[in-house]
Formats: sequence, C-alpha cells, structure tokens
Amino acid sequence: MQVTLQTIIGGVSLGAVYALVALGFSLVYRTMGLVNFAHGNVVTVGAYLASTFYLSTRLPFALAMIVAIGVTGLIGLVIERVLRPLENRDFDLMLIGTIGFGIVLDALIIMIWGATGRAVPSPVPSPPIDLFGLRIRTYDLVVLAIAAVATVLLVLFLSRTKQGAAMQAVAMDHEAATAVGIHVGRSNATAFMIGAGLAALAGGLVGPLLYVSPALGGALGIKGFAAAILGGFGSIPGAIVGGLAIGILDSFTAGHFQGYSELVTFLVFTVIIMIRPTGVFGERTVNRA
Amino acid sequence: MTGTLIVERLTVHYGGVSAVRDLSFEVAAGDAVGVIGANGAGKTSTLKAVMGLIPRKVGVLRFGDVDLSGVSARDMVRHGIGYVPEGRHIFAGLPVEKNLLLGAYARKWNAETRTTLDEVYELFPVLAEMRDRLAGALSGGQQQMLAIGRALMSRPQLLLLDEPSMGLSPKLVGDILAVLLRLRAEGLSLLLVEQNAKLTFEATSSCLVVENGEVAMTGASERLRHDPRVRRIYLGL
Repeated sequence: MQVTLQTIIGGVSLGAVYALVALGFSLVYRTMGLVNFAHGNVVTVGAYLASTFYLSTRLPFALAMIVAIGVTGLIGLVIERVLRPLENRDFDLMLIGTIGFGIVLDALIIMIWGATGRAVPSPVPSPPIDLFGLRIRTYDLVVLAIAAVATVLLVLFLSRTKQGAAMQAVAMDHEAATAVGIHVGRSNATAFMIGAGLAALAGGLVGPLLYVSPALGGALGIKGFAAAILGGFGSIPGAIVGGLAIGILDSFTAGHFQGYSELVTFLVFTVIIMIRPTGVFGERTVNRA
Repeated sequence: MTGTLIVERLTVHYGGVSAVRDLSFEVAAGDAVGVIGANGAGKTSTLKAVMGLIPRKVGVLRFGDVDLSGVSARDMVRHGIGYVPEGRHIFAGLPVEKNLLLGAYARKWNAETRTTLDEVYELFPVLAEMRDRLAGALSGGQQQMLAIGRALMSRPQLLLLDEPSMGLSPKLVGDILAVLLRLRAEGLSLLLVEQNAKLTFEATSSCLVVENGEVAMTGASERLRHDPRVRRIYLGL
C-alpha cells in the first residue's frame, strides 16, 4: 500500500506536465481542428528558454518562466503566420507544415544550445515533506499547483469569454464563424499562441524534474499526445485525466519493468484506446474537411 | 438607417467554369427579394459571392451609402448584413445560447445584447427552452431557427437566407414562412435564395429566376407564381 501510494505520488508531477502538454494539443485541436505536430518541439524551446533565463541570466525561477512563456507564445504566433497560407489552400498541408516546422525548431535548438543537455536545479530546495510516511517533494507540489491554476484559467477563458467561444466556433464552422464577424486567422493565431505558452509552461516546469536536452520535447510530446488521446482529443478535462493517468502509469512501469517501462506504458495505452477509441471524455470529433 | 442593396454585374468562376454571370439585382430598404431556380443554377454562389465568402468579380456592390465591394466577409455583418448559410452551419458543439451570443460577436456584449436575445427567444420560444443544450442535439427545424436567430443577433438591416426550407417538413416550412413575414413586417430587408418556389413567392414581393448562372426572368412574385415559364425553367425543359 505504502509503495503503491508512493509510486502514484511519484507519477503525479510528471503527469501534470504531460497534462499541460496535452492541453496545448487539445486547445489547438479544439479551436482549429488541427493537430500541431510541432508542439513537442515547442516544449523543448520553452524548456531551454526557461532554463537559460533561470541559469544564465539568473532571473528568479518564476520570472524566468514568465519570460519564457511570453517568448514561446510569440514563436507560436510566428508558426501560425507562416503556416496560414497553407490553411487556406488545404488543411492537410497545414498539418504537414507543423511537422516541418517541428524539424526546423529541432535544428535551431541544436544550433543555439548544442546537442548536449543541461541539468536544472530545483528552485525550491527545501527537503521533501513527510506525510504519514510518504515522501512528497516540495517542487512536485509547486508543479501540481501551477498546472491546476493554468487549467482553471484555460477553462474559464474557453467557457466564459467571448474570444474563447469564438475560437471554438471557428473549429466547428469556419464559414459561419466568418459570417458572424470572427477573424478566423486571428483566432487561429491566438490558439497557437496559447498552445505555445502552455508548451513553455510544461517545458519550464519539467526542467528541474528531467534533464533538458534536444530530445526532451520528443519524449514529452509523444506522452502528451498519448495523454490527449487517452482523455479524448480536444477535451480539456480529458487532457488532465489523460496526463495524470500516463504519468502514474509511467511511474508504475518504471518501478516494475525498468528498461521496458516505455514499452509497457504504450502497450497499456494501446489496449485502452482499442477498447475505447474516443478516449475517456471523447464525445465528438471536429471535422474540417 | 437602412439602405438599398445594389448588385451589378456579379460574376463567380469555379476553376474556369462560371457559376454566375453578370448578375444584377437590387433589394430596396424593407423589401424582400427572392432568388429561385433549379439545383445548380447558381443561387447559393450568388449569395456567397455577395457575402464575399467565395472569390467573385462585381461591378457595383453597395448597401445604402457604403461600397461593399472591398469589404471582407467577416466585416459584412458590421455593415448590417446578416447571413443564414445553407444547411444551417450552427456551432454544433456549443450550447444554443452561446450560438446566439456569437451571432452578436461583432457587437459589444451588453444589456442591449440581452434585449436582442430575449427578442430572438420571443420569436423562437423553442430555443429558449433549449438554451443550455448543445446546438448539435437540436432537430433540423430547431437548428434552422437557431441559424436564423443567430443572424438576427447582429441586428442586421438586411438578412441573406440560403435555403432555409431545406430538409424541413411542410409544417416547419410554414413556420419559417411565418417568421420571414414577421421579420419583413418589422422592416427587415430580405434576400431569400430558395428551391422552394411556393415559399419564396409567398415571402417576397419580387423574384429573380436564375438559370445557368444568369437571370432568366424577373418580376413581381405574385405574377411569377402563375407564369408557366417559371415551371419550365425549374424543370430544365
């Protein structure tokens, strides 16, 4: 029991990071009907930017994160702007365009920061909290709290604001959205910007948990993508549940299968998706043909 | 302020094939004009081209004092033109009320929006009952009402309607007609594109009969409904 609980706790903080990555995938999908395959690479950019501002510029961690989120958000705007001509011609081209942009980002990351990685020390160096014999790292709690706040803000934005409703309307019907006066391009740009901001948040938070390297985004991207699918692609609660589930699953398989842990994680994932292809909260599919 | 919509020499090409050729017509303030014709005659293209949703060439496109020829589709609503697309095109995954509020996207959401919303609910009481339901869960007739209600939320002076009767039962077509007549009585200008000639003749004062993208006949709706040539054009004889 003790071990099980400790394993769950160990998986929750990474799970929260997967959830943030999944949120970025789902937001762009929900508002554009597009899977942004550059998302994982944007996570890496965010992780490098945050760690650079934190380690080299010696900004406080929170400030470094905010600056990294801002800069990465701008990169999201650039991606949308570059891909926009493709969207008007063929939506599938835009999909492929995101893959291409991901490759470009990958190359840029290696050119700027090199192929080797860096370790980021925890910004909260206090010792783990002992709760009924369970050890909880303070930083894990910080990650969880920040992920929770980001999720609540995103949900409020989508459900309570005019812009949030308009962005969802764009994905559901391009033409009708245009007819009521919504600037589709601007809506898509906003979606990409918020998605990139979420990627930077995930990348910045994961720095002290994992090693920041060019391969980081690939690993987080695929886990976050799996999390989004597991929860139901496009669903906000689904992204959270999917992220935490993959994180905890990861933690269990790491304990039991060591080197084969990834394999087991994705096997379990595959079986669940075969049983329930729409994911936990998947209720509808957006079709932008 | 209301104005007359003037369309002159409207042309639409789809990859070399012209769907609409040199079409000209007017919708006077407070008037209702119908565009009827067989399937593929260019009715929907005409409406979409006026809205700017598809590439077009147009000699004159004016609404009142405003030149609309360079106005993008998303800004048409800001010049008082509401659009009800063919096949409803509601925002299926959003609640009914969000759909309606998005109709007022181009305006500030304030107390006036609330008043407009109440007016739309008064016109379509069924939408008030369903306000929290997802729009995609509504029946075809309800979705059509939602599409009209959404367009009304922008408080347009001119409403463009594309086949509002499509796929509806005769009773529901009757309901739509009643709504159109009421909107006319309230001073709204209408441009109605329809396959259903009977509905169109009853809802409008004058009509264009289009054939192969060109105007084949025009005249008062009352006169056209008894004209045997209309039937001939319709059946493509």
